[in-house]
Amino acid sequence: MTIQTLPLTRSLGRPSFLANWRALAAVMKREWVIFLRYPSWVISLFIWPVIFPLSYIFTAHALSGKNGIGLAQFYSITGIKDYAGYMAIGTIIWMWQNVVLWNVGGSLRNEQMRGTLESNWLSPTWRFAYLLGSSAPQLLSMLMFLTVSAIEFVFIFGVQFEGSLWLTLLAILLAIPSIYGLGFAFASIVINVKEANAFVFLVRGMVMVFCGITYPISILPEWMRHVSAWLPQTYIIHAVRTAALSDEGLPAIAFDLKMLALFGVLWLTLGYIAFTWMERRARRTGAIGQY
Amino acid sequence: MDTPSLLYPPTFRSKFRAFLAIARKDWKQYWRYPLNAVSTVFQPVIWLAPVYFMGMAFSTDGKALGFAQYSGTTDYMSFLILGAILGNFVNAVFWGMGYALKNDMDAGVMESNWLTPVPRLLILMGRSVTNLFVTTITSLGMLVICYFVFGFKVTGDVGQALLAIIPMLIALYGFGFAFAGLVLLMREANTLVDTSSFMVQVFSGTDFPINVLPKWLLPISLLIPLTYGLDATRGLLLKTNTILSIGVEIALLFVFMVVFLWFGSWAFHRVERKVRSLGTLGQH
Repeated sequence: MTIQTLPLTRSLGRPSFLANWRALAAVMKREWVIFLRYPSWVISLFIWPVIFPLSYIFTAHALSGKNGIGLAQFYSITGIKDYAGYMAIGTIIWMWQNVVLWNVGGSLRNEQMRGTLESNWLSPTWRFAYLLGSSAPQLLSMLMFLTVSAIEFVFIFGVQFEGSLWLTLLAILLAIPSIYGLGFAFASIVINVKEANAFVFLVRGMVMVFCGITYPISILPEWMRHVSAWLPQTYIIHAVRTAALSDEGLPAIAFDLKMLALFGVLWLTLGYIAFTWMERRARRTGAIGQY
Repeated sequence: MDTPSLLYPPTFRSKFRAFLAIARKDWKQYWRYPLNAVSTVFQPVIWLAPVYFMGMAFSTDGKALGFAQYSGTTDYMSFLILGAILGNFVNAVFWGMGYALKNDMDAGVMESNWLTPVPRLLILMGRSVTNLFVTTITSLGMLVICYFVFGFKVTGDVGQALLAIIPMLIALYGFGFAFAGLVLLMREANTLVDTSSFMVQVFSGTDFPINVLPKWLLPISLLIPLTYGLDATRGLLLKTNTILSIGVEIALLFVFMVVFLWFGSWAFHRVERKVRSLGTLGQH
């Protein structure tokens, strides 16, 4: 019997574009199935947009005073009387970034903890598909989360969205590359450094301290304002808040949108570079299967 | 002829050794991830920052006059810091006790631990001791940071405040037993732990005086022992307005302590028996 070697038109190590696309779709489908498998997300979807801002809203209520003396001061600084809307929008953007850090940023780390990352890595697949594939269902669920939050803000906190819906959507759209680019970079670092919790605390802590989730940036000391200017979340919060709560229109957020476009390109590029670096380093050091 | 001692039931000494071994294991595991350990000190300080700056936006000449109308003090930062410190213990009970069992389930060691001849409540108590110790240390570290960063200061008697804090903590850990039982039953506990710990802190007024709550929400606050613990501690240390007289609040805390300890251990045993009969202990 003679053994014949069949000539392959393509090497297994160089998958076609279509094969990469199928792998990406398979990862997305898997993530979606896992997401639906634990229905407790439904509770989070409805509860968190209410309870997270609640604490800040009640604190703001207490700071306002019985006769509104504190509120007058707040109005003179921010130009906004609706402190509930002010806090709700700031905190919801923080929650968005926080969830992306845990879910997208932790996606590869979770695979590592489950022990499936190494075997996945051995398959002749476009590796970035693992990260991209886990982000797509997450983005969908976050858009659902933002919609539910807006509805709950109106009915529970009495927030009046007096601004433009289209400008708000534009600001949210331009926020996506920065938020997810940061998530990609984060996922790549965490897989090497391992201590995911500490890194989430650090990054989300910076957003909490510097980006004005519950206060205007103008109240910060000068050195802190310089740090704020380098964080895209500062522009996201200001743009969404201004677009949704005031009727100042496009000129009031034009600068924010320009900065978001720039940060979006920067963070997506950094995210991809970090991933490529991590991928090469993990293969060289054999760290991919360790946890 | 000497009667050989059985492997079960365990003696008091062997129980104590098991208790120490569990506490030591958690202690080692905690320091195995030093970045995580250090971040637990800074994390609550970071959470205080947005409220600190928010308070500045509502203040005139550095004084939160509006806040004083509800709480009796313009020093809103010291008010919040005390809330955050006691909030640390709430998180420790929910995440350290409740979620600890979930971690054991995920790691696949839950069933084998359960098979050892050690009382199950002792396993939980062993975990709580490290948890309590670590939280106390991190809270003290946090107080030092808050002293330098936010100018935290107390004007009252710390010894008297301990009279309110100790029964409150014991009640809280008693509640933790029942909560751990719930985690055993539900298994997918992340959302449960996260939302319940957050809501307990919101409704007990860790960040604001509870008299700002709408009347229909106030009864929820009054059912949580932490509300009285926080209120009495702030009253004693910061001379803030209190809901009831401080003596009554401390008496209530002692009642809560006894009730929660009894209820917590009773509920845990009930649920644990149920889970064993269902055979779901090893599932997650």
